[in-house]
Amino acid sequence: MIEIVINSDYCKGCSICVAFCPRKVLQTSNHINSKGFMLPEVVNLDACTQCMLCEIVCPDLAIAVTGK
Amino acid sequence: MLKHPMLKYIREEGPAGKRLPFILCPGCGAGQVLNYTLHAVDEIINQPGVKKEDFVFISGIGCSSRLTSHYLNFDSGWTLHGRALPVATGVLLANPKLKVIVFTGDGDAAAIGGNHFIHAFRRNINITVICVNNGLYGMTGGQVAPTTQPFTITPTTPYGNVEEAFDLCKLATVAGASYVSRWTTAHPFQTIKAIKKGIANKGASFIEILSQCPVHEHKTPVEMINALKGMTVSIDKSMNSNKIPVGEFHFAPRPEWTERYEAIIEKCNERIS
Amino acid sequence: MVEAAVKEKKYPGNFRRPYIKAGRHYLEGSEACVEGALVAGLKVYAGYPITPASEIMEHASRRLPQFGGRFIQMEDEISAACALIGASWAGAKAMTATSSPGFSLMQEAISFSIMTETPLLIVDVQRPGPGQGYITTSQEDVMQARYGHHGEGPIIALAPSSVQDMFELTIEAFNLSEKWRTPVLLMVEETVAHLREQLIVPELDTIELIKRKKPQDLNISPETYLPYGHDIVPPMANFGEGYNINHVGLVHSEDGNVSNYSLKVHRENIDRLHQKIEGNVNEIARIESQFLDDCDHVLICYGSVARTGLEAVKEVREVHGIKIGFIRLVTLWPFPEEKLRSLISKVKNVFVPEMNLGMIKHPITEALRDKCDRVISIPEIGALHSPEKLIDQIIKGSTC
Repeated sequence: MIEIVINSDYCKGCSICVAFCPRKVLQTSNHINSKGFMLPEVVNLDACTQCMLCEIVCPDLAIAVTGK
Repeated sequence: MLKHPMLKYIREEGPAGKRLPFILCPGCGAGQVLNYTLHAVDEIINQPGVKKEDFVFISGIGCSSRLTSHYLNFDSGWTLHGRALPVATGVLLANPKLKVIVFTGDGDAAAIGGNHFIHAFRRNINITVICVNNGLYGMTGGQVAPTTQPFTITPTTPYGNVEEAFDLCKLATVAGASYVSRWTTAHPFQTIKAIKKGIANKGASFIEILSQCPVHEHKTPVEMINALKGMTVSIDKSMNSNKIPVGEFHFAPRPEWTERYEAIIEKCNERIS
Repeated sequence: MVEAAVKEKKYPGNFRRPYIKAGRHYLEGSEACVEGALVAGLKVYAGYPITPASEIMEHASRRLPQFGGRFIQMEDEISAACALIGASWAGAKAMTATSSPGFSLMQEAISFSIMTETPLLIVDVQRPGPGQGYITTSQEDVMQARYGHHGEGPIIALAPSSVQDMFELTIEAFNLSEKWRTPVLLMVEETVAHLREQLIVPELDTIELIKRKKPQDLNISPETYLPYGHDIVPPMANFGEGYNINHVGLVHSEDGNVSNYSLKVHRENIDRLHQKIEGNVNEIARIESQFLDDCDHVLICYGSVARTGLEAVKEVREVHGIKIGFIRLVTLWPFPEEKLRSLISKVKNVFVPEMNLGMIKHPITEALRDKCDRVISIPEIGALHSPEKLIDQIIKGSTC
């Protein structure tokens, strides 16, 4: 079972992970964290191939995917 | 909670409180460069014979230099504006076995640090210089930098920049760096590979990473990353293109400073005994 | 592997045994300084040529590799000072020598070393200023030693008067820098750097050497280590020992955190730095004195002026019967106000000869404001005072 966790304390809603994901697993949501940033959310977990791109490109180390 | 794998190299908090989230702006390219660097270091640390305590991070002053400040779970020094390279040189003089990685920015390295830039590469001292180039002075408000394109409007060039920009990779190559490459934040895997090669190179390595400053350019991070991808082209295809070439420009290992000096120490001690 | 080019080169002859032998020597002040530094454990020298300090650097370049140390001539004084910072962080005792214009360039690095509590030694072989001034002797940087770096933050500065001092005070300077985790300045004049005279080196194992306190020595683990905590002089971990020390130049908490700024954190940081040195001035600062019993006047001096000063005092006492005492400040900063006050009960005139237009006369006046009738500054620019001039001034001052 693949797990994608977004750390709402660290995420700044930059959406880079959303843009880089090759399978459109993520989308910017309407969830606002305590700092006022709109967090990404998982909308298509089944499409995730665990390529780990979202983890690699995140400027805040705020997203994690269970590894292969 | 499942955590980002690179957080094991970060000091998330200490007795005086939390240190994260990073002080960097949302979508800052410097944060991505930190992520890429930690990925590269992580791969090297897992090689046999490599010790985590041998890694030392030195930075100057600026947004990219904040990457050391107080975040890293490594030996680090957040030093003076433009002077990361001489401090890194001093570290190696005291202990040449350390793996010294320098975070610097375009203003830090090429303006105030310009002199040290050319000499560190001339000496081919064993450091890996990671230069986050966003074409301006981020920390102080977006002023013009030696890497800003002509005609750009910035807080100190309100009528347009009248100067040409440095090509930092050319500068590093001519100064004498033994490994020079340029990538952008839009090229994560290539950047990680380049940083690994830079660390492995016994000599002065220069890795320039074109990076976005969304706040001072008034664009979204994603827009800027797409632009970085669009404005660059791989070196082998750059002949007939106006785009910025990216890739490995120069790789010519040559005698490293501490190696040459080691020969002197050996010789001196020979004569004494 | 020894490169062919290196093999062929002729090395400077003079391969005397590593450490200077105990006994009598005839050396230049510059050489004595380096020999003292080597005895103290110098391992890194980063320098830049400048008259009249270049001899110190040249001597270090010859001697350091004989001890397995590393010498480098950097591209300017700023990078020389910065290299010392990196070397010290990686565990080495590091020094450089410069002159007044280079000393000005190093001020930012000095300020940074005070804040990061980095032990290192900077020798300033003073020459007249301002600007390029001239290349002979002066004491014109002594105020800059304390106040030249931006911001608050105390510093230790010593003033050698002889070649013997160049050897001994260099060792003392390293000991002070390691013990108090601070940069130390050796305020030399061109006179003493270029002077050749007798040096007596004691048996080396009688010389006390101090090394920085490390967290390992106090059984502090890397997980609980506070880079700016545990003690008023925080134990210092070196790079490469697994302590993950973060050196930072912004005001910080004891654990090195720079993002929880508050005036409280700021003031505690600055207070501790200040108390560390100024609060321990009586332990750190040294004064030498003679003829203080029942003296009517006193001459206070430092550096090579002390040689002329002592001669003048002796002659004035013996030939002219004026009861004048002699004080030599070995330590200029932290200024030993309490010690100075304790040496003097009440005098008429305090004479302060300096090779500048009057600098240390200011803290002296402040310290002895209620212990003397007046402070008479005896300035001299560009050369040593002659004993006759001092004797003249003392007699004039004492009789009117």
